[in-house]
Parts: sequence; structure tokens; C-alpha cells
Amino acid sequence: MPELLAIQQDFAGALDDADAASRTERWLTGNASLIEQRLAIYRANVAASATKALVAAYPVIRQVVGETFFDGLARAYQHLVPSTSGDLTDYGAAFSGFVAEFPHTQSLPYLPDLARLEWAVHRAYGAQDSQPWDQQSLARVAPAQHSTIRFDWAAGTAIVDSNFPIARVWLIHQPDFDGEFSVDWSVRECVLASRDGFRVVVSALGAGDAAFIGSSLAGGALGASAEMALAAEPGFDLGRLLGRLTQSNVICGFTSKG
Amino acid sequence: MKTLPELSVGIGLRQPHYREMFERTPALGFLEVHSENFFLDGGAAMHALERARAAYPISLHGVGLSLGSSDALAQQHLAKLKRLVDRVEPALVSEHLSWSSLGTRHFNDLLPLPHTREALGLLTERVDRVQSALNRSILVENVSAYVEFRDSEMTETAFLAELARRTGCGILLDVNNLYVNAVNFGFDPIARLADLPPEAIGEMHLAGHTSVDGCLIDTHGSRVCDEVWALFQAACRRFGPRPTLIEWDTDLPALDVLLGEAATAKSVALQRAGVSYA
Repeated sequence: MPELLAIQQDFAGALDDADAASRTERWLTGNASLIEQRLAIYRANVAASATKALVAAYPVIRQVVGETFFDGLARAYQHLVPSTSGDLTDYGAAFSGFVAEFPHTQSLPYLPDLARLEWAVHRAYGAQDSQPWDQQSLARVAPAQHSTIRFDWAAGTAIVDSNFPIARVWLIHQPDFDGEFSVDWSVRECVLASRDGFRVVVSALGAGDAAFIGSSLAGGALGASAEMALAAEPGFDLGRLLGRLTQSNVICGFTSKG
Repeated sequence: MKTLPELSVGIGLRQPHYREMFERTPALGFLEVHSENFFLDGGAAMHALERARAAYPISLHGVGLSLGSSDALAQQHLAKLKRLVDRVEPALVSEHLSWSSLGTRHFNDLLPLPHTREALGLLTERVDRVQSALNRSILVENVSAYVEFRDSEMTETAFLAELARRTGCGILLDVNNLYVNAVNFGFDPIARLADLPPEAIGEMHLAGHTSVDGCLIDTHGSRVCDEVWALFQAACRRFGPRPTLIEWDTDLPALDVLLGEAATAKSVALQRAGVSYA
């Protein structure tokens, strides 16, 4: 085996497992205790990098559980799901599933959904900017073809359905939030994460809006999506919803038959 | 592509300073960002970088490519870097003389390499590939290290000089890293400057470090210390002024503190023939 590969294998082993540190001694100068002390600096750096990425992606969960607890959570996650990319923006995608299973967060049953929402916000933040489009062209579609319209959605647009009021929890933890902090825990929220310009917007949806967006975002045609929305909420107002979504460019184009 | 004047001093562009930077647009030679923070498709961060680029030359400083990994070069990472380089047309592109990943595991830290002929062969091949993919030359930076390899056959500075000779890459001399290693491994950092060809030095970095149990650790979280200013002065005397960055990533201070450090760097570079550096 080439020496460099052997060195890196032993070094990598020593970073992930302190018990394997002795394997690096044949490559390094100094005695065993010095080597262990110095390897600990690298281990701390490795943990700090991954933790920093999770802090950036999950700021609300960090506030909810506290900084010290979050650091422990982040360490446990890294142990289970180590980083595999030099681009740490990608790191933390499996955090929701992890907190769902983690024994010490079971008293916070809404945490996995909150994590899904924060990951959606994180992805939306860096998503492709949607381009201006000719919105009048929507009005020119022949009425007979309306039901065939399929909308193009801005990159990063996502829906998170939850049994908990996660949009409310997210909102009251924003740095610029200045309202009152009560949360009605009996509320179930289906939440839209989307971009408005460079800002990521999180909003709880009514049942009709949720059904429509959920269907349309998955590629459903307007007719079928509107039927689902009306079934979910007889008072569903398609015009109002489309006005809002096109104005903020969350809907950023469409295709139709004919 | 813009090139930088030799006497250019820059600072890192960091998110907490965006607003103030754009309002004040202080006089600076360039701004440096971590390439990986801008591998995004769009959004606020990319917009900020585009605004910065309109006002300053940009230096892209990579921390994740892992040039020294003995198994494979991360093609996807290189593709993301290329996309960013094509988008920003930066004045400088730099990477580190280190490794970060093996197999599927990425440590996201700058891990040290043995300075062997074997490693030099690998780095030569990697730098050639990166430069040909990006269609431009890059700078390679010396790193802070906390362990030393028994089998090293040359100094890190001699390794970099030979890498530059073989590939045509430039050298990013991190003066703080050189000082940190000099203390950690007991060598004379000024003597090491003699290993480096002046024409290959494309940029210098200045930063703060911390000391834990007699080991200096590169933290980028404090002011440049007197010993590093003195070493920087010696470097300026040997190489002439070079684009110089105040690197500060953790415990980010007020923008004015960074601008003050940048002003000091400029005065040291100007007084390279003198004796005073304060």
C-alpha cells in the first residue's frame, strides 16, 4: 500500500475513534501522550465544523433545546451520520429522522417536524432565484384548457405537514419577532416554505390551500388540484391563492395543453 | 479576470458585516470569501457576493476541495468550484496544502500531509488537474499543524516551492500558520522564508491564534500578534508587498477592528525597508 494512503487511513481512524489513536504513532513524531493531545485538537476541529453547519441549518431547534443540549445533539448526530461532503451546506439532511429516534428528545414530539421545516427553509435560502415571467399569459389560456394547467414552482418551495403548530413555533423564534409568544398546541399546521425575493417566508396554510399546493407542487394539473382543495375546504378561493403565489413569484410559470 | 496590485490589503467578507460593508464601502484592495459558502444556486448570500464583486476584486478561498486526499479528487466539489469561478471571475483562487477526506468520510478540517516526494507527486497531479479544470492558476496555502510526520523529507515551504515550480501554481503564504508551526515544532520561521521564491508568492494571510497547553492553535479569532507582525515584516522585506488578507472567522469583531488591522498591514508592507511596524 502506498505510504500516504496508509497514513491517511490511520489518521482518519484516529479522528473517528480515540481508541485507534495508537495506530498513528508509527507515523508521527513525539511520544504517545503528546500525539493523543494533538489529535484531540483535530477531533475538536472536526466536531466544531460539523456542529457549525448544524447550527446554521437549525437555529430554531437550537433555541428550543438550548445551546448546550444542541451541542450534545450535534455530536450524537455526527457520530451516527458523519459528513461526506466538503460542502457543509449539504450537511444535516437526516437531522429530522435522527431527532425522531433520539431518546432524550422524545418529550418534544414536534421536534422532527420542526427540523423538516428548518431544512426546507435552509434549502430555500440558497435556491435558484425565480425569474420574472409574463403573468398575463395565464389569463390568455382558453377556459376549456384551464384544468390542464400545470404550474412551475420556484426552486426551494416546499410543504411540511405536521400535527403541531410548527410555523407558529418557527415564527416566534425569529430574531425580528416582536409579537406575543403564546402557542396553541392543539393546532395542526400544514406549512409552506418559499422564497419572496431573497427572504424565506414560512406560512401556515388553510386546508384548501394546503391541498391545492400539495397536489400542484407534486405535478398535479390545476383541475385535479382545485377539486382536492374544494373537497378539503368547501370555501377554497382559487383566485386569491393564485394571486398571492404569482405575486411573490412562488408560481413562476406554467404549461397547458392546447 | 482582474489581477491585484501588489500593495493590496483585504479582509474576509462575513455575513454579519454585509450591511455595513455595502453602506460604507471602505477602501480595501479586495475581499475574500470561503468558496464553499457560495456553492448555492441563488438567494441572499449569492446576491451579497455579487454586490461585493461590483465594488471590490474577490478572492475565492477554498476549504473543502482536499487536494491531498490519497484516494480521489472530489469531482463534484471541483465542478461546484468551477461554476463559482466562472460566475465570479475572481482575482484570486486559493486552496490548502492539506487533506480532508478519505473514502466517503469528509472531516471538513485542514489535515496535515507528510512532506514526502510521494505526497509531492500527488499534489503536483492534483494541482495540474484543478488548474486545467478551472482554466487558471491557483494559489496553495501552507497550513497550521499540530502533529509532525516522521517521514517528511523536506520542509513545508520547500514542498510548496517545488509544487509551484512543477505546476506553475502560486503560493499563499499564511504568515500566522508559519509562525504557529515554528512554535509548535521548534524551528526558525524567518529561515523558512528563504525556501520560498518571491515570484511565486501570490498572497499573504495574517490572522490570530490561541495557545492551549503550550500548543498554538490557529483560530482566526483574534488580532494579529506582535511576533506575526514581525514575521510579516520580514516576509515583505524578502518578497516585496503582496496582496494581504486579514483573516478573522470566529468571534467576529466590529468591522472597524478588521479595518484597523488592515491599515496596520498596509503600513507594515509600506515600511518593509524600515524597522518599525506599529
